[in-house]
Amino acid sequence: MTDNDQAILAAAEMSPRIARYSRTFDYLIVVIAAFLVWSVTHIHFLLFAGDWDFFIDWKDRQYWILITPIVSIMSAAAFQAIFWSLFRLPIGATASALLFLIGVWIVRYHSWEGMAYFPLSLVVPATGLVGAMALDCILVLSRSWVITAVFGGVIYGLSFFPTNWIYLAPYFQPAEHMGEMASVADIIGYVFPRSGTPEYIRIIERGTLRTFGDSANWVSAFFSAFVCIFAYSVFWLMGVAACTPKYIPVGYRFKELYGAKIDAGAV
Amino acid sequence: MSKILKKATLLVLAATTLLFSLMDQAAFAHGERATEPYIRTRTVHWYDVTWSTDALNVNDTVTVQGKFHLLNDWPDSVSLPNLVFLSNGSPGAVMTRVESYINEIPARQSTKGLIIGRDYDFKLVMKARKVGQWHLHPVMNIHGAGAVVGPGEWITVSGNEADFKDPLTTLTGNKIDDLQTFGVSRVQMWQFGFGLIAAVWILWWLRRPLIISRWLVVQKGRENLLITPMDDKVAAGLLVLLAMVVLVGYTRTTSEFPELVPLQSGSLSAPPLPKPPHAVEVKFKRAEYDVPGRSMRLSVEMTNTSDQPVSVGEFTTANLRFINKSLPAAVAAVSSKFPKELVPRNGLVIDNPEPLAPGESRLVNLDTTDAAWEVERLVSFLSNVDSRMGGLLFFYDGKGNRSMSEVYGPIVPVFKKTI
Repeated sequence: MTDNDQAILAAAEMSPRIARYSRTFDYLIVVIAAFLVWSVTHIHFLLFAGDWDFFIDWKDRQYWILITPIVSIMSAAAFQAIFWSLFRLPIGATASALLFLIGVWIVRYHSWEGMAYFPLSLVVPATGLVGAMALDCILVLSRSWVITAVFGGVIYGLSFFPTNWIYLAPYFQPAEHMGEMASVADIIGYVFPRSGTPEYIRIIERGTLRTFGDSANWVSAFFSAFVCIFAYSVFWLMGVAACTPKYIPVGYRFKELYGAKIDAGAV
Repeated sequence: MSKILKKATLLVLAATTLLFSLMDQAAFAHGERATEPYIRTRTVHWYDVTWSTDALNVNDTVTVQGKFHLLNDWPDSVSLPNLVFLSNGSPGAVMTRVESYINEIPARQSTKGLIIGRDYDFKLVMKARKVGQWHLHPVMNIHGAGAVVGPGEWITVSGNEADFKDPLTTLTGNKIDDLQTFGVSRVQMWQFGFGLIAAVWILWWLRRPLIISRWLVVQKGRENLLITPMDDKVAAGLLVLLAMVVLVGYTRTTSEFPELVPLQSGSLSAPPLPKPPHAVEVKFKRAEYDVPGRSMRLSVEMTNTSDQPVSVGEFTTANLRFINKSLPAAVAAVSSKFPKELVPRNGLVIDNPEPLAPGESRLVNLDTTDAAWEVERLVSFLSNVDSRMGGLLFFYDGKGNRSMSEVYGPIVPVFKKTI
């Protein structure tokens, strides 16, 4: 135990015995919290950005780069707010992104490959892990959620594309298929059929962004970074609201059950 | 004793639930009967569908081809086929799609502007990937309407799944050994690396006194104890590390793959087939579905506009083929390999089997009695907002030449015979 740890326990007025119990409680809570963070992040993302992350032939230069960071920063911000407000623990965003990534890979192996026979090449996920770590680091350095929203939000949105491009770029090599040019990602999406997912439901660069040509990726990334600032701010505030005790419906009977002494005048 | 029983029962239930949730289960049906009957009987009518084989080894191909007709009586509530995608119905990616065409035009992307009342050719080439017995259908996905599933045939795939390969050479000359696994290890290696850094960051914080102690310290306003100068240095170092990794990784990737293309999207046009021979004008008079008798009866006025006598050989709707068994040409048109469950045993019964002479008009009553109406879940005339039926009638002349006419109109559910 470091000097700082001892200082924390002293400030918390914990005896060594109580500190040991507290540590056991920590382990239990960490496991439960991990499942909670994992499931909430996963469900949130599936509801708002599912297809863009499911399939390699959905990862276009416009909506994938725009939508994925905006959606994933929401749960990262909310959990960061909860962990920071209550415990000054700057791990909420990283934990959210890391647990989500682990969960995604489990689902890819078990459900997509195991149950529906889709190869992993069709369903490789992207991740906002680098941006999430940057969010936590900036929060530590600034101690301010506003600065984190402005700088962290921008870094989160901007870093998503180059980070994921490092390993997804090979899927965008050109190839010929049935006399037409297609990316390898397009061909993978075509070759391994999804009966309930016709080609026309893909939303690929609809609108005028394609006038930017090869720079479309970065235009999307910059716009995503801009929106991430607001998405982060809104969900940070929601996270703070969620962990504010006055919003938790704890009645007197509940308090009594746990041994609290209720003021006679308050009843 | 009862407590032990309760515990044992709960344990068995929990174990069974866990077992079923973890087991990979093959899906044997994929909703071919789930689409509403008014869509299946009044939109896309598949005909002349064949499968090149029903037994193949891993890596072998099967070709599904045939034609489809888009009925003029297209329901108002169903989007017109302005944008469609030809696909296949099978449980997951048990077969890979090698090629697909509508009227010989590649259907890798969506096809636009199909015309109702016209016919189209289609072809699907599928390659066996997973060992098993799989139900393989052609499927027409219609934007705004959903999937209209064609007839399905059971395909048996044998061999060794591990032998399956799907190689590809890119336009830049890079050889891909197998599309199934392409790029996956690269993704996993990088994401594992980022995950490792993230895990170290989380453990950096979790190793200290956590929940209650930190909460108490926050409450007492001693936050300076919770974030140390060393934490600041670690956070700054991590930021720099991440920036370096992403910058170097991105730069190296762009130089490794200088020629990349965006996802290709768009739609192609496929002009319809020339209009097929049309020997008989069909005027709809009345249709009824005999609920207790499981019989669809149709009364139509037929006028032979050709110069040859013709006979009614087949009525087809929603992939069911009711064959006039007294007409050899119609019987011969059904391949022995065609799915038998789609050829109702009782066939098509006509009140007057005499051929229709050139120029002759006659009121003809057609009877299609079979449990298939129920089995295929086509009976919802009582609950539909527009109780109508539709289908195709096939006629044969004495030389075996075939012609086709649409038939459609309102249908009345009855509980005793009226026509």
